[in-house]
Amino acid sequence: MRVLTSRRWRIWLLYAVVASILIALAPNFATRLNQIAILKATSTHLPSMIGFSLVLIVGQLDLSFAAVLTLGAMLCIGLQPALGWAGSTACAIAIGASIGLANGVLVVKARISSFIVTLGTMTMVQGVVNLYSKGGTLSLNDFTMADWLDPMSLLAPRVMICVALVLVAEVVLQRTPLGRGLFLLGGNSRAAWFSGLNVDLTVILAFVLSGALSAAGGVLFAMSLSSANPAMGTGSLMLVIASVIIGGASMNGGRGSIVQGAVAVLVLVTLTNGMSAMGAGFEVQLVASGVVLAATVLLDAAVERRRDRRRGARAYLLRELESAGA
Amino acid sequence: MTVGAEVPGAAPSLRFTRNRWRDGLAASGVFAAVAALFLLGMLLSPGFATTTNQLNTLRAVALLGIVASGLAFVTFSGHYADLSVPSIMAFAGTIAISAQPLGPVLSLVAGLVAGTMLGVLNGVVIGYLRVNPIIWTLVTASTLDGVMRWIYSGNQIYPDATTAAGRIFLGLYDQQLVGGIPLLLVVFAAAVLLGHLLLTRTSYGAQVRLVGSSPEVARFSGIDVPRVVLITFMISALAASIGGLLLTSLNKAGAPYLGKGYDFAAVTAVVIGGVTLAGGRGTIIGVLGGVLVIGLLSNIMSLIGIGTFAQVVVQGAVFIAVVGLQQWSLRRAGQDDA
Repeated sequence: MRVLTSRRWRIWLLYAVVASILIALAPNFATRLNQIAILKATSTHLPSMIGFSLVLIVGQLDLSFAAVLTLGAMLCIGLQPALGWAGSTACAIAIGASIGLANGVLVVKARISSFIVTLGTMTMVQGVVNLYSKGGTLSLNDFTMADWLDPMSLLAPRVMICVALVLVAEVVLQRTPLGRGLFLLGGNSRAAWFSGLNVDLTVILAFVLSGALSAAGGVLFAMSLSSANPAMGTGSLMLVIASVIIGGASMNGGRGSIVQGAVAVLVLVTLTNGMSAMGAGFEVQLVASGVVLAATVLLDAAVERRRDRRRGARAYLLRELESAGA
Repeated sequence: MTVGAEVPGAAPSLRFTRNRWRDGLAASGVFAAVAALFLLGMLLSPGFATTTNQLNTLRAVALLGIVASGLAFVTFSGHYADLSVPSIMAFAGTIAISAQPLGPVLSLVAGLVAGTMLGVLNGVVIGYLRVNPIIWTLVTASTLDGVMRWIYSGNQIYPDATTAAGRIFLGLYDQQLVGGIPLLLVVFAAAVLLGHLLLTRTSYGAQVRLVGSSPEVARFSGIDVPRVVLITFMISALAASIGGLLLTSLNKAGAPYLGKGYDFAAVTAVVIGGVTLAGGRGTIIGVLGGVLVIGLLSNIMSLIGIGTFAQVVVQGAVFIAVVGLQQWSLRRAGQDDA
């Protein structure tokens, strides 16, 4: 029971459960080829997941990451003839970072709620994506980068890059002062300010990283599809949000782990992969992911309510009173 | 005695007068923008001031107005927005079509009930379990989307035009009442009026306002905060269902993707209308103004030839700008308790 409700361990348990069920029931699940496909699909979403986790941990929301992902994909393919692979990738990431910068500045300086800012940015970036692609698909002709990323092996460069990003992010988050500052900011922003942390800069940094990482994720996604279309980000939105929450991050900020989020992405991708193998259509997979996320959210909420009641005071009310004196 | 309860026969409480003035000013600010846009339209395009164009614009925003009037209640209570509105719209319409064997009236009722049930789910989880409203309504939106695609195997559902129920449903959007007034506009006007009355003249409306301003004060005043929140989500879902029925009738078929974009447009309208996202401020008349601003803006942009994709970019920019302006002016007045 402890393991079920513990945010740290339940994701590993969930993976074990899902994998064992699928090994038993799904044909071809445990084959090398299938696992390569799963790793490839998982690593496509890892950069965005890292970015979203960082922003959620500091207590903000970045809803624009899926649109930035799509823009990154589009730019990477569209600029490749002119700038070459290195150039177009760098450009895509730079533009993603500047969108993140815009988000961060609006949240911190204009003091607009991050929900509003990123909702607005999401709409604008999606509009730009549609304008840039004129509603159609961009395809690539030069497959050198795509081939380099995905030779048919379990430890393809794509997977290695993403795993490296996850590990670096996790180490920075859990072991460095910067990472601890992120948690502090999300948990209690006034205490963070009093402790001397530069709150504004840290929040802006989180948004910039989210933008840059989402764009990078877009580049990887474009390479896997060998094309970019305006709707490619939509599935990513719910998948990443679901993974971050199922992986144990708190929706109010202040708690989370990149590695657990990565395992959660793996769980969801494995789940949909297995369901496809068993013949369940795309719609059933959507419902299944939704149900898993809903169950996690409800479980977390129920545990928190019980904890509140046991503590005797309505913690959320006291939190309101504390922050009212700002 | 609950907040807002009135002694029979007494004048409305003075306590709310000052708030009403301030909100009234915010609302009139919106209408100043409406007037300005009207002027701009007349200057920029000869086709703007024609009755046909105006009527078309009004019809285009009617659905948005109905949905936004309901969504505004969720925002008033401080819960940002109900992002499951698009899926509820599609769901209500699809259920109404599937329920056509029940007859014309019952099938519509079935659609409304189905949509409102979603509102109950949202309200219970957000009100009683206190889950983050944005995340939870996103979850219900995508799960409901998946469920709809699953049940109907991703197909569109067509009303059976041979039955009375089918014919009435297909004609619902274009239905005209006595005197040639479209049913659509009547429902729009009714939604705005009822919403406004509910918010300003009932004790429930005062409760919602207080919950949005300060949940802990509301709780300590004896208001059942979770129940108030539950009812706001039911109102939002009901309004979305009504809009969904009309939208599905317009589309002549039920489909899971109907209603896409209404969440962002409705939140924009609500925010432009002077309702702050932190809750507790604003009026439904202001929301009406916000809806008109959006409609006029799109209309003018279309008339001067700006494409739909570019319009979307402009809408996003306007959204951020309006909220920024609101926050700035509130901060200057020392009134940002957000």
